[in-house]
Amino acid sequence: MKQNYYIFNNGCLRRQENTIFFEKEDGTRNVIPIENTEAVYAFGEIDFNTKLFNYLAQKGIPVHVFNYYGFYSGSYYPRETLNSGQLLVKQVNHYTNMRHRLALARAFVNGASFNIVKNLRYYNNRGKDLGEYINAIEGYRSRIEESGAVEELMGIEGNIRNTYYKAWPTIIDCEIEFERRVKQPPDNMINALISYLNSLVYTTCLGEIYHTQLNPLISFLHEPGERRYSLSLDLAEIFKPIFSDRIIFTLLNRQQITNKDFMTEVNLCYLNESGRKTVVREYDERLKTVITHKKLERQVSYRHLVRLECYKLVKHLIGEQEYEGFKIWW
Amino acid sequence: MYVIVVYDVDQKRCGKMLKLCRGYLHHIQNSVFEGEITEAKLEELKIKSRKIMREEDNDSLIVFKSRNEKWLEKEIVGTDKRPVDNVL
Repeated sequence: MKQNYYIFNNGCLRRQENTIFFEKEDGTRNVIPIENTEAVYAFGEIDFNTKLFNYLAQKGIPVHVFNYYGFYSGSYYPRETLNSGQLLVKQVNHYTNMRHRLALARAFVNGASFNIVKNLRYYNNRGKDLGEYINAIEGYRSRIEESGAVEELMGIEGNIRNTYYKAWPTIIDCEIEFERRVKQPPDNMINALISYLNSLVYTTCLGEIYHTQLNPLISFLHEPGERRYSLSLDLAEIFKPIFSDRIIFTLLNRQQITNKDFMTEVNLCYLNESGRKTVVREYDERLKTVITHKKLERQVSYRHLVRLECYKLVKHLIGEQEYEGFKIWW
Repeated sequence: MYVIVVYDVDQKRCGKMLKLCRGYLHHIQNSVFEGEITEAKLEELKIKSRKIMREEDNDSLIVFKSRNEKWLEKEIVGTDKRPVDNVL
């Protein structure tokens, strides 16, 4: 399995001797084996040059850039090599046809909320009383099939998330201030963690979409806006409960992340470098975790599940098999 | 698959082997590399290394294979000069 490389130090990344070198400010060098690289995550202040980008494009490696506060700011997305006009037309058709679009949007919300309930059940079975939240969410879930418009579906999804977040203080053992989701900027530790991990999930989805014929610009649940790859938001919806939320619970319950991992000068709204490193390491571990796939009957990693999800979407679009959002089975 | 690759080639070709292997694995000591690699990529590496090596000088490359990193116990005596890590 190819590796992701996360660069926190400041320095210069360049092509040399048919591989990539990362040179820190103090002059020490790290060699990154290019043949075994999936993507590069740039968190530090890094210099790039076009020679490097040319080489990365040749090898199909995207670079995801994050700003000073650890927020996702964009990706260097190499030239698409897997183009399919046919699939693009189908994808657009599914977007413009309200009935088709709704079917897909429902599948996304259905999968996402199923995984949310599964998370709650997991902790409910471990002596935390979450019954009322589970029931409330199941109530919202039953309305997914009846929904007549994507906006309505987004509303249901919002309600589910709100109820879900209300359950968090019960799940997390340590003292936390968390009432509701606040973004831009996040107002406390939990919100900062959610924002940070979600941005990692988006990039993972984008990276996997890159390896398929799908066009990341055309989405179904989210409105395909300008400026962002919204299909990765759709996919991320399904994987957020599995990847990001579970990591937050583990990190906090094991006290791997505490107050000192946040920037105090801005009211604990952002993770500091050591905090980011802890989260990234845990996230990377999670992506590499393997499980036995029920249908394929072989071992697949968590990251590969995202790719399989893309393939399912392709099958739906070309009319081979109806898409159903991923549901966690373990 | 997790592998350890070591080579012993005439010093004229050391640099070439180093450059080649660095593209695939982590350099942990002089002429020793380790890392996760796929079956196909390892084959590619072997083919490319054959083109560099010369039989008349008894050049060789040895691959130690392990199914997974966890089946490999690694002990470092002295200093760990180049730790293998993907968080830089």
